[in-house]
Amino acid sequence: MITKYFTKVVVKFNPFGKEAKTARLFLAAIPPKQRILGTKIENELLNGTSAKEPIIKVTYKDKKEATVDPRTLSFLEIANKLDGHSRQLRLKETIENQ
Amino acid sequence: MLGIQHAMLSRSALRPASLPASLCLTATIGVTALGLRHGSRAVVTAKKAEFELHGRHTTKPVDSRKTFLIDYYKHMMESHPVVVFLHYNNLLKTEDHHFRDLIKATNGKLHKIRNNLFQVYLRNSALPDPCAPVDSKDPRLVRNHPLHPLFAGPTAAITYKDMNPADLAKLIKVLAPAKDKLFVIGAKVDADVLDTAKLAEFSRMPPLPAMQAQLVQLLMSASGGGLVQTLEAASQRLYLTLKAHEDARKSGEEK
Repeated sequence: MITKYFTKVVVKFNPFGKEAKTARLFLAAIPPKQRILGTKIENELLNGTSAKEPIIKVTYKDKKEATVDPRTLSFLEIANKLDGHSRQLRLKETIENQ
Repeated sequence: MLGIQHAMLSRSALRPASLPASLCLTATIGVTALGLRHGSRAVVTAKKAEFELHGRHTTKPVDSRKTFLIDYYKHMMESHPVVVFLHYNNLLKTEDHHFRDLIKATNGKLHKIRNNLFQVYLRNSALPDPCAPVDSKDPRLVRNHPLHPLFAGPTAAITYKDMNPADLAKLIKVLAPAKDKLFVIGAKVDADVLDTAKLAEFSRMPPLPAMQAQLVQLLMSASGGGLVQTLEAASQRLYLTLKAHEDARKSGEEK
């Protein structure tokens, strides 16, 4: 997963729920240096009684937002989905730098 | 030669389902026909002694790391009343040391966990030896352990030797600034599984000895000692009956 272009990440999940694996693998895929480089990572734990929905929300460098549901998708599927826009940003960056 | 063959045959009963039976059979024939081939895989796996050291019979060699870890998880879960499970996000070395020191100050100890081995332990937790080969139809196997869903993704555990809610309150306070780096996802307190909300509630309770003293005080004051007397009555009556019996026998012998 390309995490370089994320500026903000919000992850909400229930650790006992079905979505826990995807959400936790997603959190683990963001390298520790990224926190120092300025990506904001917010996580909230839900429990069985809370009304909030589990969610993974990513804000890119160009302020585009992407929201995915960790209950229905696996970690690889989510990574593929989010990489789509990251690749566009990377392409743009290489063109600008030339 | 016969000894090796015997070991091969008894070992084939333990072989994992993924290995075809013909492989073991050809290996046996190979050994008998060609003599012992040094370094061959068939000969190495036939070492019965590795799986049956010190009278134990295990799936993996007795002195292997997998067997050790499953034994260690059993020790961790059975001799510690409080075990807290955390999501351990990829930490830098300095962060890891920092958090380990903070956790040590709350009387706990941090262990990183190998999920698959912990899940094996949870499944076999009702068996006398969790490392022993299991029959998949054994009714004692725990299929849906309440802790099972916690072992997806990087997991760590903090163990406490005493049940002291104050320690947990301290831990929650210490880990609050860590945010996504290291956060509590669940806990085992005695035989109960708690989620984060229940754990926070538990951490606000007074320590166990204080609560026991409170209960005794309440019973004494509420019933004026009547309840304590009732509880004592049965054992007292037994003592008196036996004493009377003893006295009667003594007096009978004297006559």
